[in-house]
Amino acid sequence: MKIQPRQQLLELWEAAARASYRDGVWNWGGRDGSNSISDAEQLLCFMYPAYELPAFRLDTPDDTSDDVLTALSVLGDPMGIPKLLLDVLGQYLRKYTADDGRPLFSGGSYFRPQDEEAKVTPEQLQLDVVDSFSMSVTLALGTLGFLKIFERSVRREKILREIGELRELAGKRLSAAMTGLLRSFTFHTFDPGSTEGRALLRTVNQTGAPERRVLDDLRRALGPVRAGLRDLTHGLDSRKKEDLEENKNLLFECGWTWGIVKDAPDVDTRLDIGPQPKGVAVDRPFLYFTVNALVGIADLFSERTRNLGLLNDDQLTLARAIQHRWDLTQSYWRTIATFGRGVWPLEDIPWRTVDERESDYYSLGVTAMVVQSLVKNRSADVDLDRVAGVLEELAIRARITRRAVADDPPVRMHSPGVAINLHGSDTLGPHLQWVVSDFAITLLKRTIWAASIAQNTRIRERLLTLADQIWRHILLRRHTDGPAAGLWDQPGNVFGDIQTRDQETSWYFTERVVEFLVSAAKSIEGPPLRSPQLVELAYQMLGEAEHLLDHELVKRPLLPGQTIQPKLGSIQASLQRARAIISDRPATRRR
Amino acid sequence: MLVFAISDKGGTGRSVTGTNIVYRHALQGNDVCYLDFDFGSPTAGAIFSVSAVARGAPENGLHEYLRGDCTQPRRVDVWAESDREALRTRPPGAGRLVLLPGTESGGELSAFTDEVVNRCAQLFGRLEEEFDLCMVDVSAGRSFTAELVLAATARLPAIPFRWLVFHRWTRQHIIAADGLVTGADGLLDVGARLGHDREDLHDRIRFVRTAVLEPDAAELVGLRDEQRAWLSACDGELRELARRHGVGRTAMLGKVPLDPVLQWREQLITDEDVLASKIANAETAAAFDELAKKIVDDSAWEGL
Repeated sequence: MKIQPRQQLLELWEAAARASYRDGVWNWGGRDGSNSISDAEQLLCFMYPAYELPAFRLDTPDDTSDDVLTALSVLGDPMGIPKLLLDVLGQYLRKYTADDGRPLFSGGSYFRPQDEEAKVTPEQLQLDVVDSFSMSVTLALGTLGFLKIFERSVRREKILREIGELRELAGKRLSAAMTGLLRSFTFHTFDPGSTEGRALLRTVNQTGAPERRVLDDLRRALGPVRAGLRDLTHGLDSRKKEDLEENKNLLFECGWTWGIVKDAPDVDTRLDIGPQPKGVAVDRPFLYFTVNALVGIADLFSERTRNLGLLNDDQLTLARAIQHRWDLTQSYWRTIATFGRGVWPLEDIPWRTVDERESDYYSLGVTAMVVQSLVKNRSADVDLDRVAGVLEELAIRARITRRAVADDPPVRMHSPGVAINLHGSDTLGPHLQWVVSDFAITLLKRTIWAASIAQNTRIRERLLTLADQIWRHILLRRHTDGPAAGLWDQPGNVFGDIQTRDQETSWYFTERVVEFLVSAAKSIEGPPLRSPQLVELAYQMLGEAEHLLDHELVKRPLLPGQTIQPKLGSIQASLQRARAIISDRPATRRR
Repeated sequence: MLVFAISDKGGTGRSVTGTNIVYRHALQGNDVCYLDFDFGSPTAGAIFSVSAVARGAPENGLHEYLRGDCTQPRRVDVWAESDREALRTRPPGAGRLVLLPGTESGGELSAFTDEVVNRCAQLFGRLEEEFDLCMVDVSAGRSFTAELVLAATARLPAIPFRWLVFHRWTRQHIIAADGLVTGADGLLDVGARLGHDREDLHDRIRFVRTAVLEPDAAELVGLRDEQRAWLSACDGELRELARRHGVGRTAMLGKVPLDPVLQWREQLITDEDVLASKIANAETAAAFDELAKKIVDDSAWEGL
């Protein structure tokens, strides 16, 4: 199955509109109930393509294309669609604002108790989660962009007033989400001799080099990151920085924990975001949440965000502080993952964390950061080739490109998913878990990212073939009937071992499919890859043709009534066109 | 409800679209009348196939009424006086369908006095009470007639009215349609000068596209793929142009597809033309039907 982003996005929109809007009422929630993340995911299914892809804009009713309108006809007519979006965005923003004006980023029904019998306390349901910060950044930016453009088509006072109010709410939510991201970033220091230190050294030392040397090399490689961490401001405990400063021997890890760090200081800002909540999360980075934060943060610096000028000065200050963390985190994980001269630690699947847990999920997370860093640095294809190998291996191990046997353990990764223990949550009730089951779609997203930067035709082909294979797997996991028909996720369609059949949509999974399709559409937008040999060959052929034509024109006496003249004219025109497109599309054949 | 039909240029199909909308509105069970204010060429009679007033009424036309030469303009009951078999009997459930023709060889209005405005306002007031919908055909472009009806409606604050601007889907027409409304001495300028609230008047104006050839229309089946791709690109450009000129989808009430019947002969498209003789396209009749509904549907005029 070839990936066809436009058609598939339209199909998805049609299904999502049907599932979300029935009898004039917007249905919040899905498989896991309504909460600040799931609802944002549901909205992003519409807002994300509309924000990122010009062909899917919904903010200018005069320009919306006809196939988009047909797909969304359940939501209303050309003018009704943006009005409805305005309405539901308002519902969302107001629902997740506390009485004291503080935007809420609670995990709500996504929290699961570790002990199934235990009951999650109301205070726990209210805990802010990094996932929600990350989704909110994307959603708030999408909302602000939508409002900014939609406003131009509006003349009625009432709608203009609503736009003004929503702009305020979305801006506030964006500021609060950024503050949350700053307060949930952390780094964790440990002695090289500790269990954690030894685990890290074992991971980076793939060639069995003497430990002393590995440690020295690692310290040197991480030097810039260490220096960067010392300079960080906003929402970080200054004692920790001193610790890092004084003990040059310590090793460290940096990234995001699952929520606001316990005892994280308030971020000093003039922005109105209400009181900053206290954190309970353990002061240690989690791979999954780090990757998650990085994805949302990327939208803060996207081209469209900059073009529309969506951030004000104070927000830009926060964004810069976040970007600094983004850079450091990426370069930390890339250093670790590609350390040494032999096999990369990343290629040693599954990845082992410093607390000695192993999972393919961790490998995927680290791959994500490596790919993101490669995207940023426009990296060499040699590295990409190795990443492609890792991605292929992960697809096999996760039984995406291979069939599963009975009782195959990897199947559990897709359903029910992998549980992450939210350390620190137990101060307010039972120990909580976060269940993640987006392995397949995240793998696909990374694959298409990597493909989009490949400059070498063979590597690109290799990655695209893998993407097509994973996509076939994902497509099979769509619901085939019920209210969620056409949406995700029904892993039981592919894996015989999985007995559970859900009726409702998983917005968690569906939103990730949307993200993937958007990246796929964007990667196709650019010009095709050109092989230098092909361009060379085309120039040689053109040269020969032009020479022959000139020859003909010189030799042939000009006589009136010659029927050959128009023919020569048309050849000349063809050659002219060939010259115009030769460097962009050398493989075009004359018809 | 008064509806004024105007077009940016001649030959847009204003009269034929307007009469068809009125006809459909009558079929939907409303009492309607059609006032032919196109004084230069009063041909509405021909479209309704009333041969007695095919080129305007010989006497007691709207001209004479406005000049004060008669107390009541002539009324033609289309259901009774049309020559077309299909129109001659009022279909069950349909409302009244009355034509007020212009005067034969009456000539374009060259100026108007206060009394003329008064007479015009009186006429509108009377007809509005009597009929559910009165459509006034106000000829093409900027004219004294347009000014006259703007002046008359400014004196009738209690009577609801709307404007339809007909234009074709081409570069020149899109620009001209915008100019007619928002340009210098356009409807808004003149209306504001005569006592209308500019914003309020703007909200009462919608555009209707006529003779539209959609890129996916059946008529284009014979074209080469390159031509079709090119047409599609042109359509995109026009859309963009229309948005910039405020003639885009948000300001549009509806569009009427290109139909051979309307091209070759200006006439009402009856259900018989669509279903029995099959000379007209069903889409055309459906477009008229929808316009006839939307014209009085407040939610369609709500806008953004």
